[in-house]
Amino acid sequence: MKGWVVLACAAFLAVPLAAQSVRGRLEGRIPSEAIPPVDSLIQFASQEGLPTEPLIQKALEGGAKHAAAPRIVAAVQVSLGQLRDARDVLVRAGDQPPVLPAEMTTVAWALRRGLPAPVVERVVAAVTRPPRAAAMHAVADLVAHRFDPDSAAGLIIEAVRDGVPQERLLDVSTAVLQQVQRGYTRAEALAIVRRGLPNLPAPSKPTRGSVAGARRPSSPAPP
Amino acid sequence: MDVRGTPPDAEVVALVLAGDAEAFGFVIRRYEAGLLRFATRMLGSRDAAADAVAESFVRAYRHLASCREPARLRTWLYRIVTNRCKSHLVRRSVADVPLDDAPPVADPADTEADLERADQLLLVERALADLSPDKREAFVLKHVEGLSYEEMAAVTGERIPTLKMRVHRAREALLKVLEDHT
Amino acid sequence: MNVIDPRIHQALDGELAAEAVPADLRRTVAQLAAAADLLAAVPGPAVSVESRVMAAIRRPAPSPARRAMRWLVTPRAIILRVRPAWSVAFAAVVAALTLFTADHEGPVLAEHEGIAQFVGRFPEAQSVHAVGTFNDWRPGSIALEDQDHDGVWRATVVLPAGTYEYMFVVDGERWVPDHLAERLVADEFGRENSIVIVRPARR
Repeated sequence: MKGWVVLACAAFLAVPLAAQSVRGRLEGRIPSEAIPPVDSLIQFASQEGLPTEPLIQKALEGGAKHAAAPRIVAAVQVSLGQLRDARDVLVRAGDQPPVLPAEMTTVAWALRRGLPAPVVERVVAAVTRPPRAAAMHAVADLVAHRFDPDSAAGLIIEAVRDGVPQERLLDVSTAVLQQVQRGYTRAEALAIVRRGLPNLPAPSKPTRGSVAGARRPSSPAPP
Repeated sequence: MDVRGTPPDAEVVALVLAGDAEAFGFVIRRYEAGLLRFATRMLGSRDAAADAVAESFVRAYRHLASCREPARLRTWLYRIVTNRCKSHLVRRSVADVPLDDAPPVADPADTEADLERADQLLLVERALADLSPDKREAFVLKHVEGLSYEEMAAVTGERIPTLKMRVHRAREALLKVLEDHT
Repeated sequence: MNVIDPRIHQALDGELAAEAVPADLRRTVAQLAAAADLLAAVPGPAVSVESRVMAAIRRPAPSPARRAMRWLVTPRAIILRVRPAWSVAFAAVVAALTLFTADHEGPVLAEHEGIAQFVGRFPEAQSVHAVGTFNDWRPGSIALEDQDHDGVWRATVVLPAGTYEYMFVVDGERWVPDHLAERLVADEFGRENSIVIVRPARR
């Protein structure tokens, strides 16, 4: 009995505490009239099992860019719709609910970067183990350079099946784009890289000088 | 070199870390044959393999304090050598991997079986050289060096399913070469 | 690709007893085992690296004076906080720490951290900042620098590995996408954000 009481108290406090932390992040950063509707949208997302951080970031972005309150609310609404679409794509492609929040964020990015939903589904189905961010962005990089989405997805899927590690998939698209820069057609570039799989040029790394000068972002100024 | 009766790895590591540099000779004598064999199969050249293994031993000596499990020194050494081989390979394309030196000159005393064995070895070596570095590494660690998949995971940092897939693909490629030539 | 019977793989992986392998597959198992045996012997005279390794190990280490000289001339990063009241004390602490971590060049990256490099050409600008999801869209925490005053602004930043959206803010008011980034998405505010993917430095 005592255990249930403790749990009930915790649940009673947890929701307003969580809401407090979202509001705490938004206060002073976005117009005050936008906070209640944005907060509601974030609560909806939470209840649906969708990731909330992308929505908080969208609101903060709007505030930083001095967008008017209605525009911020509309942008958060669009982002919420994108996450719902992403979840639907993942479920159609075979991911069992509850779908991982990071995967929904990744697929939302892929759709925003112009990948058609059927192509995203194909990549999700082929890359059975998350995270899929590298695979999605590798395909999207090629599509951004006007490669046919299906051909781009085909190459990245083949790279995955050939054992190219997740962290090297972006190097596959880089290798293709390098071939185009050398003067090959897109089809030739894809074929050249496909023939060489799973071998890839070594990834470019920052120079020692620039790494030596790297710094962590300074703390935000207190409100 | 007969290494029976020499101290176990954990004891040797403790001696070296206490300042007895000469004790590192035990480590070299115990493991160099296997590491040289592995590196030769990875790089296709005994000279390159000797360079890679020597560099690896020197590195291992200098970083011995970071070997967290002296009882698993062997795995740790293989890890250093696989990384060294990868660095060597990155500096030249796989297609340029030289098959070790010139093929052995036939000795009139060689039997028919010896010659057939030499031919077969050449075939297998070429097939190995045609594999991607990842598959070659996995096949050699598994079948030549006799590491378990768990040990291979510790050496390469890859997951066991990935390593199994690479070994399987390597076997398939090897078998195709062997069947094409029978 | 020549896909072979999975029982062959199981036998060679030690997951299936030899006697359980069907007769028609045993030849293939034996063939592959024989190929591995051939590779186990490296032809030619035995090679030993012992003497050259021991020679390298016995070479005397650089003297403390030489190590100190090397430390003095090697460039390293000093991280300073922007709180004036603490800056002197903090600088003293950081200086003391770098004396004891003389082997490191720059910041020590955790396993899931990587490096992001920001570069932009703004010849007339007085200030350029990178603002995005890596700093909650707060201007001010990542300032680019144009040290040689050629109009090219740069910053190299340690960030947790992941994907981020961002823009440059020029002179505190002009929001500009990073056109060198080549990854752009609509921001829902009439502009485009750039995307940076930070890969773990230790791969």
